[in-house]
Amino acid sequence: MNRVGTAAVVGAAILAAAVPFSLKPFGIFLISMWAVLTIAAIGLNLTLGYAGQVSLAQGAFVGIGAYTVALLTQAGYPFALAFVAAGGLCFMIGGILGYPALRVQHHYLAFVTLAFTTLVFLVLRNEEWLTNGIYGINGIARPTFFGWSTRSALNFYFFSFGTLAVLSMTTWWMLRSPWGRAFVALRENPIRALSLGVDTRRYTLMAFAIGSSLGGLSGGLYAPLVQFIDPGSFALGMSFNLLLMVIVGGSGYFFGPFVGALVAVLLPEWTRIAQGYYLIIYAALVMVMMAFCPSGILGLIDRALKAVSRSGQVTPAPGAKGIGP
Amino acid sequence: MSPVLEVSNLHKSFGGIAAVRGVSFEVREGEILGIIGPNGSGKSTLFNCVLGQLLPNDGEVFIDGRQTTGMRPCDLNRLGVSRTFQLLQVFPQLSVRDNLILAGQEHRGSMFSRLIGRADAGLGEAADRMVGFFQLSHLADEQAGALSYGQQKLLDAAMAFMAGPRLALLDEPAGGVNLTMLKHLRERLQTYHAERKATFVVIEHQMEFVMALCTRVLVLAEGRIIAEGAPHDIRSNPVVIEAYLGH
Repeated sequence: MNRVGTAAVVGAAILAAAVPFSLKPFGIFLISMWAVLTIAAIGLNLTLGYAGQVSLAQGAFVGIGAYTVALLTQAGYPFALAFVAAGGLCFMIGGILGYPALRVQHHYLAFVTLAFTTLVFLVLRNEEWLTNGIYGINGIARPTFFGWSTRSALNFYFFSFGTLAVLSMTTWWMLRSPWGRAFVALRENPIRALSLGVDTRRYTLMAFAIGSSLGGLSGGLYAPLVQFIDPGSFALGMSFNLLLMVIVGGSGYFFGPFVGALVAVLLPEWTRIAQGYYLIIYAALVMVMMAFCPSGILGLIDRALKAVSRSGQVTPAPGAKGIGP
Repeated sequence: MSPVLEVSNLHKSFGGIAAVRGVSFEVREGEILGIIGPNGSGKSTLFNCVLGQLLPNDGEVFIDGRQTTGMRPCDLNRLGVSRTFQLLQVFPQLSVRDNLILAGQEHRGSMFSRLIGRADAGLGEAADRMVGFFQLSHLADEQAGALSYGQQKLLDAAMAFMAGPRLALLDEPAGGVNLTMLKHLRERLQTYHAERKATFVVIEHQMEFVMALCTRVLVLAEGRIIAEGAPHDIRSNPVVIEAYLGH
C-alpha cells in the first residue's frame, strides 16, 4: 500500500472510532451492523473476489455462526469459546462445501451453494429441538471480558470494530502471502496455475473454508448484536445482500467489502425519507451503480486514479516501449 | 542412464477421433527435441497427455524412469516438469514480478510454511534476475495484462523456467511473435539451455525457429510419428515434405 492509501486507511479508522460518539443508539446499532457484516463480506470477497469461486452460501454461514454462539452461550459456555467454535464449525462445513467447486464452476456452483443456503434455512426452521424453529432464540447476552461489559451499544460497537480490525489485518496478511497470489491464480487461470505446481484443489477448499469461517465469526457477533435470531434472517436474502456488498464495493479489492457493507447497511436507511418508496429507490440506485461501475466503487476509483496517473506521466504508458511489437 | 522423458505407445481418442495413435519416443538429458506436424496431427494432445492435462486411453509416460501416467500437472511440476501453452497463459491482473514469483513459490516449503513465510516466498531476487534475463526489467511492476503480445510470450516462457525445471515442454512458443521478438526468444532459450543443461521439448510451426533451436526433430501426422532425425535430415525427408512442408 502506498503512502496515500495508508493515510486513507488510518483516517478511515480514526473516523470509525470517533463517529459513534456523535450518534444516537440506532445509529450506533447501524454502524455495529456494518462492522459485523463487513467481516462476512471480507470472507465472501476472499472466496469470490480473490479465488473466483461463486458462493451464495455466505448468509447461511452467518446463520450457522449466529446459532452456534446463541446455543452455546445459552448453554453456559463462555462467549470466547462459542465464538471460536462458530468459526471452526464454519471452517469445516465450508471446506466440505468446497468439494463441489472441484467439479463445477460459475452458475452451476452458484446453484450448489444456493441449495446449501436453502438446506441450512430448512434445518434452522424444522429442527425445533435444537434451534427452536420459527420462534427463534431471544435474549442472547452480550459478552463481558475481564469485567468490561459490551452490553451498551457503544461498547458493543467497539468490540465489533476491534474484532473487524483484527480479522481484516489477519486476512490482509494472508492475502499478501503466497496464498493470496495462489488464490488470484485460481481465479484468473486455474489450468495454468495447476501447471505451475499450484495445488488448485487444496487452495479451492481453503478459499471456501476460510471465507466461510469469516462468515461464521460474523454470525458470532451478529447474534449478540441483535439479541434475537430466527431462521428467516439467514435465508437467501442475507446471502444476496452479502454478495451485493462485495460487488458494489469492488470484488477482489481488499477494501471493497468495507465500502460495500457501508452502502448496503446505510443506503436503505438514508432512503427512508422517501417512506414507502425507499426500497424501490435503493434498488434503482444499486442498478444505476452497477450499470456505470460494474467493477464496484473501488474499481471506479482505481480506474480514475490510473487515468490521472497516466495523464501526468511524461514517459510512455506501460507496454508502449521495449522489445515487444 | 534412463531418458529424462520416455513416452511408450501412447493412445488418445476423443469419441471416434483418434488424436494420438501409439506414439513412442525418448528425450535424453540436455536434448532439445522439436515436434512438428500439420494442424490436427496430435501434437498438443500428446503434450497434454504427457503433462497430465489429459488421461491417455493407453500407453505410459516416464519421467526420469518414474511412471507418471495420469499424474496431476501440479505434481509433475514439482518433479521438475514445466510447460507453456499454445495460447497465452499469464495472469493478467498480477504484476510481471508476481507472475514469476507465483511460478516458483509452490516449490518452496510446505503450504503452511508459505502462509507464515515471506510474502515473496524468498523469490524476489530470483524473479528480478529472471525479468532481467528476459529483458523485461522495465516492466517488472506492470500488470501482465498491460504487456504487448510478444512481451507476454516472453513472460510466459520466463514463468516456465522460474522453478529451474529439469524438463520444459514449450507449446508453440513462437506463435504470433514478430521476427525481432522471435530471434530474441530463441536466444534466451538457447542461453538458458546452455547455462542450465535443461531438456526441452518444443512444438512449433515456425520451421526456421525449430531448425535453429532443436537438436532432433520428430514429425507427427494423423496422430503417428512419420519421421524422426536431425533437423537438416527432416528438412529433406520426402515423407515429411509430402505430409507437412507441402513442397
